[in-house]
Parts: sequence; structure tokens; C-alpha cells
Amino acid sequence: MYKKMLASALLLFFAQFALAEIVVVVHPSNADSLDSKMVQRIFLGKEKKFPNGSETVPVNQSPESNVRQGFDQDVLGRSSSQVSAYWSKLVFTGKGVPPKEVSTDAEVIELVSQNPSVIGYIDRASATDAVKIVEL
Amino acid sequence: MKKLTTSLSVLAASMMLIGQAQADLRINGFANFTGGITSSDDTLYGFTDRVSFADQSLFAVQVSGDINDKMTATGQIIARGANDFNADFEWAYISYQATDDTSVSAGRLRMPLFRYSASLDVGYSYHWIAAPQSIYNVPYNNIDGIRVDHSGYTGGWDYNFQAAFGRIDNDFVLAGQPGQLAIDNVIVVNGELGYENWKFRGVYAAGKTNFDLPALDPAFAQLGQISPELSDKLAASDDTGTFVGASIEYDAFSWFVAAEYTAIEIADSFYPDEANYYVTAGIRTGKWTPHITYEKSDLNDGPKFLDEVANFPAPFQLPVTQLLVGIQQPAASEDTTITVGVRYDYDTNIAVKVEATQQTNDITDDDATLLRFAVNYIF
Repeated sequence: MYKKMLASALLLFFAQFALAEIVVVVHPSNADSLDSKMVQRIFLGKEKKFPNGSETVPVNQSPESNVRQGFDQDVLGRSSSQVSAYWSKLVFTGKGVPPKEVSTDAEVIELVSQNPSVIGYIDRASATDAVKIVEL
Repeated sequence: MKKLTTSLSVLAASMMLIGQAQADLRINGFANFTGGITSSDDTLYGFTDRVSFADQSLFAVQVSGDINDKMTATGQIIARGANDFNADFEWAYISYQATDDTSVSAGRLRMPLFRYSASLDVGYSYHWIAAPQSIYNVPYNNIDGIRVDHSGYTGGWDYNFQAAFGRIDNDFVLAGQPGQLAIDNVIVVNGELGYENWKFRGVYAAGKTNFDLPALDPAFAQLGQISPELSDKLAASDDTGTFVGASIEYDAFSWFVAAEYTAIEIADSFYPDEANYYVTAGIRTGKWTPHITYEKSDLNDGPKFLDEVANFPAPFQLPVTQLLVGIQQPAASEDTTITVGVRYDYDTNIAVKVEATQQTNDITDDDATLLRFAVNYIF
């Protein structure tokens, strides 16, 4: 009985984990190999070009979303509040403008599929053929 | 007044250009609501033993717009409680993005003197309620002039170099007496290096410094009657002032430690040599950031030019000494300050903070204790 409960609890846990798996997505034509350091630099406004020389346009999800919080924590390595404090330093000195925010994975996919410069992140389960998943 | 007119015309011109280009305007803002109360009969940073909210509170709006692909105009207006919430242009400038890595800005802008110069007024951007006053309480944060910014990344190192050139003209208060500060031909050179969790920076600045302090005029006049040369030497008029600063930080995100040091010298003047530093550390645990800061400010190097007294005939030595000391003494000070506090991230644009500060005047051994609370907001 206990074993069964434990097993289902574990299953649930992994199901949750799988549901929340965040992947970075780019336009299918984007052939650059990106590592997590590069993605971090792009989303912190430190890198404005892909390795192939074309412009980067990062797209964020809204701060309330689990995807955003997961991305900030896993890829940027800090809480969403810290990321927002980081941007507040740049915004008020004209050194940078934070990435545009959208509120759903579908919007990210739409933007990415329309523009080879756009880079975003979504829940892996939402991914479609319109975007290319970057394995970090 | 002239400064304001200049800034206003820069901004007006920029806004007209923006209007023509019909570019989209970015409007951002921030607010700090800060209250504080000291222990009985103490005063610190303008706070007294009656709770007050005005002194460190402010409200600011920043408008920026792209004039074209390469040019951006930015204006920031701040209403400070310390200034009766009168709104002033803190900065107004046009930036030209020469290349991906290099930009040139002209107008009224912030000088890169400190670790937190750029976001000094944005309480949300750091863990304190206010940046450590031992270092940051200077009357010359903004410059009317130009600034070049160059940044890049190579072999894991982020680097950022800035150079600024221009003029400073500002009201200031020395030893409780109001005055006017003008620094000409100001040059600032700043370099910052980041590697993984480390950040290092160094800054050098210099300028021709002029203090106009009416309260000291009678003493200077008396000294001038005995020795115009010594009076000249003591006066800060077109005398080179230098500013040297350095900072280091290690930020592992779950905790951080940082230190900053500044040394200021106007050798050929009554103004004491100044050396200040702070060390701060904190832990980020969930939404909470408890932190501690130790500050030291030293403007107590003893009166300068006393060795010149021997050159005067005996009857003049006592009055000259008295005047030398009398003019220099008011600016002398030495303080040690300890602050413990906590920041709570209420939301991704609101932080709530509480801090207790104890300052010891190392000359008189007097203590002052201050309790502050603040809400920082950005939009």
C-alpha cells in the first residue's frame, strides 16, 4: 500500500517536473549552436548578436508565469526579483531595455516563427514544428 | 538656473526630434518611500527623534525615445522629499550608439564615480535603503558634458570602460553651512571588469575645484590681511581636486560580499584629505535578503599647512595658527557606521526594507541610532 502510494507520488512528482521542463526556442533557420552561457548573456542584454552576426531579439514571459520563474532560476541563475533589479540598473541609465514580455507559450512560438532574430523559451510540451528547440 | 535651461532645451530639442520621428516613447519610473526615526535627541542623515518620511523619499519619471536607429533621447525628472518634492531634471541627454559596443552621450548625465552611480536613486536596484553615505554622500554626481561608454566580452571577461568630460555646478553644504561648488574641466575615467561571480572596478577623476562658502569669507579675509599667499593656498579656487575609487564584489546570487573605497584630495586647499570605505555582505534566501554593512569615513587627517607657520614673525604665529585651524576644523570629521537590515521582495517591482543604523562620531565618541523603513517601487 505504502509502496503504491510512494510510487504514485513519485510519478506525480516526475510528471510535474516533466510538465515544467523549459526549453529555449529559435527560428528553424537559426543554425547557431547556443550554450546556456550565451543564452544567459542574450537575456541579460549583454550580447546583442548571434554567433552568425545577426541581431538577437529576446522575448520574455510575464513574471507571474512558472515558465519565466523557472527560466530565471535555471538559466539566469537568479530569482525573477533579482533579474528585475538587474534590469532596473540598466533601464534608468539608458544602457539597456529589458526583453519584451508576452504571456503565453503560443505567443512566443508565433514571434519566434515569424522572425529569425527572436529567441524565447517555452514549456517543452508546447513546442511545435514552427520553432527549433535549442538543447542547452 | 543656466544649467536647468540648458537641460530643458536639450530635452525640448530631443522631444521635438522624437515627435518628428514618431518613435515610441518608453516611460519608466521609480519611487522610494522612506521613513525613519532616531533614538532620542540624535540626528542622522536628516532624520530626528520624530518620525519623518520626507528626507530620503523621492518619485521619478524617466522618458526616453529613439530619435532614429542610432540616437536616443532620455530625460529623468526627480521630485525629492529633501527638496520639498520640487521636480528637477536629474539628467537630460542624447545618446549616439556609434557601434554595438560604443556609445556617446551628451547633456546632463551621471558620472561613473561609484559602483552604484548609475542607479543611485533607484532603491529597488540594491539591498540597502540608501547607498552607504560615507561613500555616496557627495554633491557632484551629475555632470554637464559628454560621456563615452565602451563595453565588450572576451574570454569570459565582461569589460566596460567609461570616460566623461564636462563641468559640475551645484549647491552643497559643508559643516552645516550652505555653499556653491563649481568644478571645471572635470575628467572621469572608469573601468569595470567582470569574471563569473567577480566584479572589479577602478575610477580616477580630476577637476579644477572652486568652493564658495560665505561662512568662511570673514576668516579668509583676516588671513588674507596677514598673508595673501597662505589665504590663497587655503582657498579652494581653481585648485586641482582628485578622486580615486575602487571596488570589488563577489556575488554567488545566494550570497554576496562587496567593498568600495574612495579617496578625495584637494591638496592646495583647506579641504581635508578624505578616505572612505564600506564592506557589505548579504544572503539571498527566497524573497528575503538580510544584510550587514560596515562603513568608515575619515576626514580627520589634522590641519594642513601648519609647517608654514614657522615662516611668520613670532607675533603673527598664534593668529595664523588659529586661523589655519579655524578654517579647516569645521570640515574635519571621522565616523564609523554599522547598518543591519533586510530586504523583502514583495513583487518583481516592489521591495520592502527595514534597517537599523548606528553611527559613531570617532572624534567626540557620540553615537546616533537610526531606524528606517522603505518601500521601493519601479514601473
